[in-house]
Amino acid sequence: MRTDAHAHEVPVLEAHDLVKHFVARKSLIGRPLATVKAVDGVSLAVRSGETVALVGESGCGKSTLGRMILRLVDPTSGRIVIGGEDVTHARERDLKGLRRAAQIIFQDPFASLNPRMTVGEILAEPLMLHAIVPASERPARVAALLEQVGLDPRHAARFPHEFSGGQRQRIVIARALAVEPKVIVCDEPVSALDVSIRAQILNLLEELQARLGLAYVFISHDLGVVRHIADRVCVMYLGRIVETGTTAEIFENPRHPYTRALLSAIPAPSPTARRERRLLEGDVPSPLSPPSGCHLRTRCPHVQDVCATTRPPLDPVGPTQASACLFAKDLPPAGDLTPREAPLDPRLEKLFAAFVGDDETAAARTAAQ
Amino acid sequence: MSEAPILSVEDLAVTFSGPDGRRTRAVDGVSFSVSPGRTLGIVGESGCGKSVTSLSVMGLLPKVGTAISGRILFEGRDLLRESERSLRDLRGDRLAMIFQEPMTSLNPSYTIGDQIVEAIVRHRAIGRREAAQRAVEMLERVRIPEPAARFHDYPHKLSGGMRQRVMIAMALACEPRLLIADEPTTALDVTIQAQILELMRALREETGTAIVLITHDLGVVAEVCDEVAVMYAGQVVERAPVEELFRFPQHPYTVGLMGSLPRFDRPRTRLAAIEGAVPDMSRPPEGCRFAARCPFRIPRCETMPELAPVGPDRSARCWRAPLEELAA
Repeated sequence: MRTDAHAHEVPVLEAHDLVKHFVARKSLIGRPLATVKAVDGVSLAVRSGETVALVGESGCGKSTLGRMILRLVDPTSGRIVIGGEDVTHARERDLKGLRRAAQIIFQDPFASLNPRMTVGEILAEPLMLHAIVPASERPARVAALLEQVGLDPRHAARFPHEFSGGQRQRIVIARALAVEPKVIVCDEPVSALDVSIRAQILNLLEELQARLGLAYVFISHDLGVVRHIADRVCVMYLGRIVETGTTAEIFENPRHPYTRALLSAIPAPSPTARRERRLLEGDVPSPLSPPSGCHLRTRCPHVQDVCATTRPPLDPVGPTQASACLFAKDLPPAGDLTPREAPLDPRLEKLFAAFVGDDETAAARTAAQ
Repeated sequence: MSEAPILSVEDLAVTFSGPDGRRTRAVDGVSFSVSPGRTLGIVGESGCGKSVTSLSVMGLLPKVGTAISGRILFEGRDLLRESERSLRDLRGDRLAMIFQEPMTSLNPSYTIGDQIVEAIVRHRAIGRREAAQRAVEMLERVRIPEPAARFHDYPHKLSGGMRQRVMIAMALACEPRLLIADEPTTALDVTIQAQILELMRALREETGTAIVLITHDLGVVAEVCDEVAVMYAGQVVERAPVEELFRFPQHPYTVGLMGSLPRFDRPRTRLAAIEGAVPDMSRPPEGCRFAARCPFRIPRCETMPELAPVGPDRSARCWRAPLEELAA
C-alpha cells in the first residue's frame, strides 16, 4: 500500500543475483559430489516503510535467502547492498555495522532468547555492544523498548520462561529494535503462535513499521498472513523466484501456474466460499536433482516440450509484475482462486471491531496481566 | 444428524496431578457426538484440551496421575470401563487415529508395507500374503503412485505428505467406524495439505467413516467439517453446524478467532486480536473462563455460564448469547 509513495526512493536493501549452493555429499578427498542450489539467482529490492514477502513451501530457499541478507550464510555468488553499502564481502569485524542496519526475527521465540538472562539484560546487550546509549541511560532505554512492544517495563527483571509465547516474540522484536535497524528480516515470525496471538504480533509489526519507517522482508508460508501484511510478494519455488508483483497483482491476477496452485490450496475460513481448485499433482521434486528447464514442469498443468529445455526468465508481464513462465501471457484467466467469501454479516463486523482495540488499550491490557 | 451417533462423549473431565501435587484440569465437562459419515471438528488453541480429549477417546492417556470421569460411548460401549485388552482390540480396528507428525508415528526400521500388514493381521484372521495384497490396495486408495513398489520403501524415503498418506492407509486398513485425526495437516505444506484434505473428504464418502478432526485452523474446519465444537480452557464454548458457525459465531471467543484471521474479501484493516492469554488451568477462574479477555463481559460473567441452546442445533457457553443483539 505504501509502494507508490516510496517508489522513487533508493532501496535500503538490494540483493543482486544471489546464489547459494550447499554441498550435500562429498567424496573421500572432499570434492563435492552433489550440491543443492538452495538459492539459484535471486534479486530483490526493499525500500524503507515497505514489506516484501517471500513465500513458498519447505525447501524453496526463502529462509536461506533471508539468512544471506544478514550474512548469516555466505552467498556463493551475487551481491548484497544494505543502506547503499556493499556488504557481500564485509569481514567479520565489519559486520557489526551491518547488524545495526539489519536484524532478523526467527520463528521460535523461546529458542531465540537466552533462558539465563533477564529480559532487561537481553535488551541491554545490543545497546552495549553497539554503544547506542551510555551505560547510565540503558535502563531507561530498556523500559522504552519494552513499552514500544506493549510489555510492562516493570517486567525487565523477569526471565524469558515467565512470559507466554506471544510475549516472548514481543521481547525478540524489542531486541531487534534496540539497534534502530532499517531492515528487519522476519522469518516466519508468527508461525509458532496461536491464531489470536498471531494477530497481536502482526498488528504490532505494522504499527512499528508505520512509526519507525522499517523495511520488512517477511518470510512466510501462510498466504493469508502475507496478503494482510505485504506490499509486494516474491513467490519462490526450488530456489528461484517464479513470480513477483504487488500484493494485489499476485492475489488478484497471478501469472504463474505455481502461484495459482498455491493460492487455490489455501483453506478458506468460509464453508460457503466458491472457488476454483488447481491442485498440483505430487510432491516438490528433490532439490538435489531439480527438473531441467522450468522446475515446475513435472507438476505443471500447462507444461509443453520447451519447458524441459529452457530456463524461463523472470520477465515483466505488467508494470510491476513479472513471471518466470514461458507461457505467462497465454495462461487462461486465473478465475476465482482465492475464495470469494459470502459477505460478512454487518453485525458480525461490529463484533469484530470490539476486539480491535487501539494501540494504547492493547498495551495497557497486556501490561495489566 | 439423522443417524444415531457412533461416538458420544458425555461430561468428560480429565485432571492431571503433577509431581508437586498441582492439579490441572485439562478437560472439564466436555460433551459432543458424531454420526457415521460425518466430520466433527474440534477447534481451539494450544492448551485448550482438544488433544487430551482425543487421547482419552483412544484410551492413550497415561494411567498414573490422570483422573478421568464422564462417559465415552462408542457403538454403545463405555470406553472408560473397557479393559486395556479390549481397547487394544478396538484401536486400529473399529477405532483409528492419525497424528500430526507422521515420521514419529512410523517405525523407521520397518518398511511401510510391513507396518500396514502388521496392523491388518493384528485384527483380521488372514494370512500375511492376503494382508500384503490388502496393504497395496490401501496404498493405492490413498493415491500413492506405484503402490506395489512403495510397499517395500522405508519411511525415510517418503516425503511428509506421502508419509501422512501411509498413516491414513494404515488407519483405514481395517475399515474403522471412527477416525480421529489430530492436526493431520499441520506439519505439511499448503499444497500438500490441500491434497490430504481432499483425500480425507473422498475417503469419508467412500467408507462412511465418522471423523473427529482436531485442529487449530479455522480454514481447515471450514473445508472439511460438518459440525464444529470450539474449545477454550478445557471446555466446549460453542457447538454448531459449520455453515452456521461461520455465518454468525455465538461465543465471543469464536468471534475473536474469526476476526483475527486475515480474510481475502476484506480490505487490509487492523486485525481483531484477543488480548491477554489463556488462564492458568491449575487455578482456573470461577466464572466464565474467557471473561478476562472478553470485550463483552458483564458482572454476571463472574458466574460460570452453561453450554445452552441458541437456536436449532447450536449452543454456546455465554451469558450474552445470542450475540446478534450486542451489535444492534
